[in-house]
Amino acid sequence: MNVLFALATGVMFGMGVFQLLRRDLIKAAMGFYILFAAINLLFLAVGAYDGTAPAYVDASNQPDGQPSDPLVQALILTAIVISFGSYALLLGFIAASSRRFKTVDSNELDHLKG
Amino acid sequence: MNALLLGPVFVPLLLAAISVVLARNRSLQQLLGLVGSVVAWLCSVGVLLANLQGETLVYRLGGWPPPFGIALVGDLLASLFAVMATTIVAAGVLYTVGCKDVAVTYPAFMPLFLCMGAGLSGALYTGDIFTLFVFIELTVLASVVLVAISDNRLGLEAAIKYLFISAMGTLFLLTGIAALYATFGTLNMADIGQLLAGGSRPLLAQAAAVMLMCAFLLKSAVFPFHFWQPDFHAAAPTPVSAILSSVVVKVGIYGLIRMTTLMFTAEAPLIHDLLVLLGVFGVFFGSLGALRTYDAKRLLAYSTFGQVGFILVGIGWGTAATLAAALVYVVNHSVIKAALLMLAGAIASRTATKTARLSELGGVGKVMPMTGVLYLLGGLALAGAPPLNGFVSKAALVLGGIDAQEWLILALVVGAGLITLLYMTRTWQLIFQQAPSGEVQLKPAGDRQIAPALLIGLCIVLGLYGGPLLDFAARTVAQLGDPQLYIRAVLGG
Repeated sequence: MNVLFALATGVMFGMGVFQLLRRDLIKAAMGFYILFAAINLLFLAVGAYDGTAPAYVDASNQPDGQPSDPLVQALILTAIVISFGSYALLLGFIAASSRRFKTVDSNELDHLKG
Repeated sequence: MNALLLGPVFVPLLLAAISVVLARNRSLQQLLGLVGSVVAWLCSVGVLLANLQGETLVYRLGGWPPPFGIALVGDLLASLFAVMATTIVAAGVLYTVGCKDVAVTYPAFMPLFLCMGAGLSGALYTGDIFTLFVFIELTVLASVVLVAISDNRLGLEAAIKYLFISAMGTLFLLTGIAALYATFGTLNMADIGQLLAGGSRPLLAQAAAVMLMCAFLLKSAVFPFHFWQPDFHAAAPTPVSAILSSVVVKVGIYGLIRMTTLMFTAEAPLIHDLLVLLGVFGVFFGSLGALRTYDAKRLLAYSTFGQVGFILVGIGWGTAATLAAALVYVVNHSVIKAALLMLAGAIASRTATKTARLSELGGVGKVMPMTGVLYLLGGLALAGAPPLNGFVSKAALVLGGIDAQEWLILALVVGAGLITLLYMTRTWQLIFQQAPSGEVQLKPAGDRQIAPALLIGLCIVLGLYGGPLLDFAARTVAQLGDPQLYIRAVLGG
């Protein structure tokens, strides 16, 4: 299972970095989101213990096996909310800048250079 | 008493929420902003006074005991940074009230400004590393929107740039947090510090140290992560750029100090060596960049890049005296830089096109003699002329360097520091002394300058009475020298 997680996280990081370095800002924004998804997967993989049973149930009908780690799930939820918010903002900015500067090419968006 | 820690974080957040509801009434919004920032400042000063009695305040959110729950911790280091942050944020709100920009009339401006302040205080007070990430993101997202709505139409471009860059910082931070959690199964910084001090030091934890360092260096815009900073800071609305360039870059410095004194104490010598190197790079590139730039606000942003280099060198030398000097430097630089950016913005607000380009500022200051005096005082303070506060921090740093016998670095840093004097006097002459070329069209009224005047006053006071701040920094360093004090205060026992 760990190998699978490692492979998936690695592939997603690679895809995200490749996509982030594209000139097209919209493709770069996709890379941004893929990278955050990779991080979320990483968090899922680093749960302090590999659990198979639900974490919070009545002690009387607690299923057998190690309870899963609820903290990483809480962390991932927080990270998803934040990354989704930033992604929405980023796309909004790109839309606004495509109207203001008439381009979504990051090479042409260099008015601040000097 | 411990509940005081909630003030600087949650009062601005609450008032931000209320001021969203009052979007139609701008003066009421601004009143709420002033109330929120002043209450936050009072609370942070209260925490500082409690610290001076020898207490370390710990507030357990929801009553959960650490290391399971999230704790807000107010020790001397956090208080020093937080009082600085709330002071500058309050000054920023005061400037906003008298600001003529179109951006400050948007209903979203004041809530976002308060969110930025709350995020800053939260990131400084939190004792939990994941909560640190949340508060840093709150600051980043609020500031990005504030820059995107800037009067400068290039603010949007700067916002896109910074959102991408800060996402990289966030990725580093999150990967570091994940590595720490995988190693120790805890997110509480005191707990992590205790486990690391206990001797368990797997490779993954060291990788986490590298990740956290990258994240903090990126937040502080240190070489080689600096390239976005002048763009982002110069394009921001004036009150926002004053906060960004003075306080927000210090959050990364705070993280570095916390990391090397609480968690990764064994790796600290290696990290320190690296910080000295990066600091010297910053001092040089920042000062030279400031010398050849074309825009007054951009010049000050480059200068931040240089001044952060001085602070890093102070931390990197690693003796108690230089670390204390770096802390004094942190406070003094924030006050000076916020004041100077506000003054530059106030000058720019008088020009017809609202630009801070040096080519259009020649002679603009002729009609603003008071601003000229303030700008000169600020520039001299930045360059480290006595009796202003910049002198106190530079002198403390140099004396510390002499004690540490780091002659080569000391010579390099002092040499580069002289460039500061060069570019500050040059722009002052250009703006206030030069005869205007041709007819200069000026607006009758610009931004009000109460906030920068107060900050420059603070510069003079901190320069003439530098003793208390130096003593306080020395006490802070003494407390940092024994991480067990922090760990025991948070975890109990």
